[in-house]
Amino acid sequence: MYNAKVRGVLIEGGKTYQDITRDVLRPLDTGKTPLWWWIASFFASAMLVWGVWGFYNTIVNGIGTWGLNNSVSWGWAIINFVWWIGIGHAGTAFSIFLLVLHQRWRTSINRAAEAMTIFAVMAAGMFPLIHMGRIWNGFFIMPYPNTRGPLWDNFNSPLFWDVVAISTYLTASFLFWYVGMMPDFATIREKTTSAIKKKVYGILSFGWLGSARGWLRFETAALLMGGLTAPLVVSVHSIVAMDFAAGVLPGWHSTIFPPFFVIGAIFSGFSMVLTLMIIVRKVYKYEDYVTKGHLDAIARILTFISLIMGVAYITEAFIAWYSDSPYEMYVFFKNRITGPYAFEFWAMISCNAIIPQLFWFKKIRKNITIVFIISIFINIGMWFERFVIVVTSLSKTWLPATWHTYHPTITEIAIYVGTLGFFFLGILLFLRLLPVMAISELKGILKETSSVKKINENESK
Amino acid sequence: MKANNHILGVFDDPDAATTAVEQLVKNKIAIKDVFSPFPLEHVWKKLKMKTRIPYLTFTFGALGTASVYGFLYWSSVINYPLIFGGKPTNSLSFVVVMFVLTILSGVIFTLLTYLVREKLWPGKQVNLPDPRTMDDKFVIVIEKNKNMDEALTKKIDDLLKNSGAVEVNES
Repeated sequence: MYNAKVRGVLIEGGKTYQDITRDVLRPLDTGKTPLWWWIASFFASAMLVWGVWGFYNTIVNGIGTWGLNNSVSWGWAIINFVWWIGIGHAGTAFSIFLLVLHQRWRTSINRAAEAMTIFAVMAAGMFPLIHMGRIWNGFFIMPYPNTRGPLWDNFNSPLFWDVVAISTYLTASFLFWYVGMMPDFATIREKTTSAIKKKVYGILSFGWLGSARGWLRFETAALLMGGLTAPLVVSVHSIVAMDFAAGVLPGWHSTIFPPFFVIGAIFSGFSMVLTLMIIVRKVYKYEDYVTKGHLDAIARILTFISLIMGVAYITEAFIAWYSDSPYEMYVFFKNRITGPYAFEFWAMISCNAIIPQLFWFKKIRKNITIVFIISIFINIGMWFERFVIVVTSLSKTWLPATWHTYHPTITEIAIYVGTLGFFFLGILLFLRLLPVMAISELKGILKETSSVKKINENESK
Repeated sequence: MKANNHILGVFDDPDAATTAVEQLVKNKIAIKDVFSPFPLEHVWKKLKMKTRIPYLTFTFGALGTASVYGFLYWSSVINYPLIFGGKPTNSLSFVVVMFVLTILSGVIFTLLTYLVREKLWPGKQVNLPDPRTMDDKFVIVIEKNKNMDEALTKKIDDLLKNSGAVEVNES
């Protein structure tokens, strides 16, 4: 095909169709639950339990248990919310953009990336809910007939757009993910020897047959759902950006925010995909499917996005100077680049704009350990970016009398760690119970990609 | 599928199965269905299969846009107009909610259409011609009818075998 040759061989090890079925089914059907799974699940559950304590403390004692004050009214909650939403862009950006662009190398990673999306968006959603204080009144954010007039939501508010966008994003991503798994559930139904699994995966497969007409409709429906969901990647994070940009604070009130946030989200999403896939390919021995070529492709994309991030940071600072607004100048040059938050600012710059530039070197892209470490740096850097945006702008606004610093409390830390535990537990359950790679899609590219190998061999002769 | 009424050509190569479909179509032999572990685009083309789901998706999206705008207009302009900052109640920024909910209605109703049209539901019992199509085999199903005499059956058998069928079964 037109794009296979550029990418090289996507499935190594001379696999047959049967091998693919066997390899993907191994962790969830024939294999025993490995020890590392139990250990990891134990730690994830412990983190989650601590998070539940944080939730409990917040609900019973109120938001006063957080480190917020009159000036810094958005602390870790919004930082972590935006961070998780960013990570949640991975799956959809990855699987749907590459699906729409007919990039075949998505096939061995898209399923896991979509699972990441779903758990990350769920983790993100917990922060606005808990920040409401009275979580049991959470349904107030929905437009429903009420006895107050009825007084409707403010449909012009970015905060309401957020509610709509994120719940839509979660729903659409989940449906797309599930539909993609139906053929694989059917494969498990036919291949498993356990009666219980046959029953459970049979129900989940919705009676999938795999007939020609069925495939045609499936492919059409999946492509349409994917094509429709693709713009959501842009809209969700644009709307999150407008939560800030629609405010008038220096450092926030900027038209660069929506594209800057979308790019940042895709950046953090791709880096989290890289982090997790390097672990998964190692523990499940999927090196033949998630090849070095795959990791190389992700690293190249990250290099490019990192450059965009760098340009965005420079543009922000330039516009702050060019606008000649003393407040903008103060935020950027006295409270970010220098001043008490300089460490966070420079951590953000180095993790997001400088360290990923190491991917220019082929040697570094080929060294999985270094790639893994850099991907962790990007995850941290993107967290610092949200910290810088939220805290530096809020802590020092126009009146010096209102200036305040912000430190998270143990409750906020517990909630953050809890969402990490939730995310990792979700991913671990996914790794144990669901097909980690799209079996049918891998089979679909197998013949093409093996023929590439033959072509390459002939050329080298 | 009714038993003892079908010829099954089993292939282990997608291209061989596609060639067989081509040959059968050329010889005007009706193919009932083709079962495969992954989509075979050439088979759809050979069998002239089409789907109208895209048109329906467009309709769902358009209806979604219209009904969301209708709701926003009714709630913000008719039912409880709330004036703040002198801004119009029928606001341009409705576009954001409309955009997102258009996508939501498109996705949900496309999925429902697909499930209804394919008659899929949780726990549906299936009767596959050959369970190996879920693993590594490609099966062409040809329904036997009364007009099919020995010679024609033989011809179909040969066609399938010559195109590279590894087995020709009856069921």
